[in-house]
Amino acid sequence: MTNVIALYNIKGGVGKTSAAVNLAWTAADEGARVLLWDLDPQGAASYLLRIRPKVRGGGAKLVRGKSDPTALLKGSDHPRLDLLPADFSYRNMDLALDATKRPTEGLDRVLAQIAGDYDYVFLDCAPAISLASESVFFAADVLLVPLIPTPLSLHAYDQLRGFVADEVAKPRPRILAFLSMIDGRKALHRSVAGDLAADDGVLHSTIPAASDVERMGSQRRALAQFAPHRRAALAYGALWTELRGRLADGPTRSRRARGSGRSRRGPA
Amino acid sequence: MDPAHTQLLLPDGIDASAAADRLAAHVAVVTQRAHRTDRTFWDTFDGRLHAAGLALVDTGSRIALLDAATHAERAAGDHARSLRRLAVADLPAGELRDLLDPVAEMRVLTPIVRVRSRVLPVNVLDDLGKIVVRLRAEEPTVVAGKDARIALRSRLNVAGVLGYEADYERVLGLLAGELDLQPVAVPVQDEAVAAVGGVAGGTSSKLRVALAPGARADVAAVTVLRRLLEIIEVNVPGTLADLDSEYLHDLRVAVRRSRALQRELRGVFPPEPLRVFRDGFRELQVLTGPTRDLDVQLLEFADLAATLPAETVPDVAPLRELLELRLGAERAKMVRGLRSERTRALLDNWRDFLDALVDSPEDERPDAARPVEDVAGERIAKVYRQMVKMGRAIGPDTPHEALHDLRKKGKELRYLLEFFASLYPSEVVKPMVATLKGLQDVLGRFQDREVQADALRALGDDIAALEGGAAALMAMGVLVGHLAAEQEQAREQFDERFERFAAKPQRKLVEQMFG
Repeated sequence: MTNVIALYNIKGGVGKTSAAVNLAWTAADEGARVLLWDLDPQGAASYLLRIRPKVRGGGAKLVRGKSDPTALLKGSDHPRLDLLPADFSYRNMDLALDATKRPTEGLDRVLAQIAGDYDYVFLDCAPAISLASESVFFAADVLLVPLIPTPLSLHAYDQLRGFVADEVAKPRPRILAFLSMIDGRKALHRSVAGDLAADDGVLHSTIPAASDVERMGSQRRALAQFAPHRRAALAYGALWTELRGRLADGPTRSRRARGSGRSRRGPA
Repeated sequence: MDPAHTQLLLPDGIDASAAADRLAAHVAVVTQRAHRTDRTFWDTFDGRLHAAGLALVDTGSRIALLDAATHAERAAGDHARSLRRLAVADLPAGELRDLLDPVAEMRVLTPIVRVRSRVLPVNVLDDLGKIVVRLRAEEPTVVAGKDARIALRSRLNVAGVLGYEADYERVLGLLAGELDLQPVAVPVQDEAVAAVGGVAGGTSSKLRVALAPGARADVAAVTVLRRLLEIIEVNVPGTLADLDSEYLHDLRVAVRRSRALQRELRGVFPPEPLRVFRDGFRELQVLTGPTRDLDVQLLEFADLAATLPAETVPDVAPLRELLELRLGAERAKMVRGLRSERTRALLDNWRDFLDALVDSPEDERPDAARPVEDVAGERIAKVYRQMVKMGRAIGPDTPHEALHDLRKKGKELRYLLEFFASLYPSEVVKPMVATLKGLQDVLGRFQDREVQADALRALGDDIAALEGGAAALMAMGVLVGHLAAEQEQAREQFDERFERFAAKPQRKLVEQMFG
């Protein structure tokens, strides 16, 4: 059974891409078969994995079923982590989806063809609520929301929860959040973290604001590749362990037939 | 979605670093630190994974099912806790078990060879510094004893990366052009098995003997019987160690086939020693019978229990426990018997007897020097005629024993055809085998269901005395009812199957060919 985890926040700059890349890498390191779909037209996840943000035929053909997604996959430097790269045309994803019959099911139709080969699929989503994000809500089992402990970020989180509860048809994705870019020296961060501690939808693991995370951009590698024993990498490891436990506890949405394929990776 | 894989042999004089250096002149490569791997390959005794193109490897931290040739991974799980045996049923539910189950069936997996390698990973990068081809230069050795290692041929494993197929092809082209590397024909695990004197593909219990037309009948008999003796002997250690139920099964089939040949080709043996050996082989069959019967009952237990209504299935648990208890006791008796001097002497003397047979006097061996196809043909025709006669005498009210006797005769014919079929035209043998198989299936089911029902009835008193015995007994009553119904179904199919077996065109063919 494949779990689809969408890194999502209405607000940008909260650590979605870093989380998507590091969590995907950690899961693959553990032995899982993992796909990361870089849905952000800026292509930051593709950049970090040193893969050109280019999809033959663009996003429109892909969601219209005119491209074979299996032919667009790229293996990363981790033998069990593949990427469906970003493409600049994803900026027009809403238009492309709108031109299809059931727009909100567009991304799910693509995933149905490839996700069966993987244990986990991570979606690195562009910020904002749009038709594309509604399609993400349809496709994902879990919306994983990085939260910066600031009032604005919490407000965006509340907005998201309200939107999913009011506007998204059942079965809705679960929403799980985690605190991102935490600076333990800031009183505001400590206070917000304390307020959220009792919220069942917020994971206990937090990601620190660390220079190693920023260095990913210059290194173009996952933390586990260049700073595996340092604080930030260990924090993503702990976050993954907690998330994996929560995924195992909760139901996977059953409206799609996934999990039929079988991946054959490299030599043992 | 499989990234392409190739394994190439590294010629003598070109080690891993040299290969990387040569490539570096054409593409960007990064050589990583060399590491050592220690892999134990597992298979069933008869090499079922090998036959299916698979390899199961335990790295000490995990166990993985691989494509035997490319080592591409199909499934993986936690590493084997036992160092000696691995039953597929003991694996946790999942892909690994699902893939292994239909291949290994009831056979356990045991370690067959251990390969230790030095591995030098070399990655080919593109202009963004991304890995586009993975090379693994391997210098393998096979562990041949406590401190003994035998070096195997070095190899270069080339693995493509999804979406970078052109780079893979380019690197392969460079390797072929620069280094003249040839593809590996024999996987490392097979080379390792051969290096320590084993046979890749395991130990088969199949007959596989080639008989020459026109050969003396005693020469042919000795050829077949030696092979059967070999099968008996290779299956003794696994039977004694109780690794799985197939060792005993294969041993018993070889004993039964030996007995059939002793009986059917009796004219090639001197009568008195033959009588002694036939007694000895009968004893061996009797010695191993109860254990095999209980093995079968336990192997079929789950399927049989599944015929019960779901809520009744747990009721038969005491029956299973009792069968297991009995099996333990019977196995102990059998093991004592198989380890005995008497059994050892029987098999040693039989081998000596076979070795000396062809050169022994022929005055009491009237068929010895006749062409084997004549002697075997007469027996095939005779047993076939006997079966036709026996089958025709079977009517609606005939006692069951008559059908059981016909099945026994049918086994005799089947063995004769298995031993000697290659000597006759296939257009004669093939339809005969097909109709015989159809008939034997029905007769087998007819008898097996009766034996199973009798076995359940025989356990009734003991089960009744156990805690939960009453519920078990009632469930067993239902099972006996099912078995009786299935036996009746088999009986209903008998006439039609027998008619096909004994049809006029087939009788005519048998008379023309063998009569």
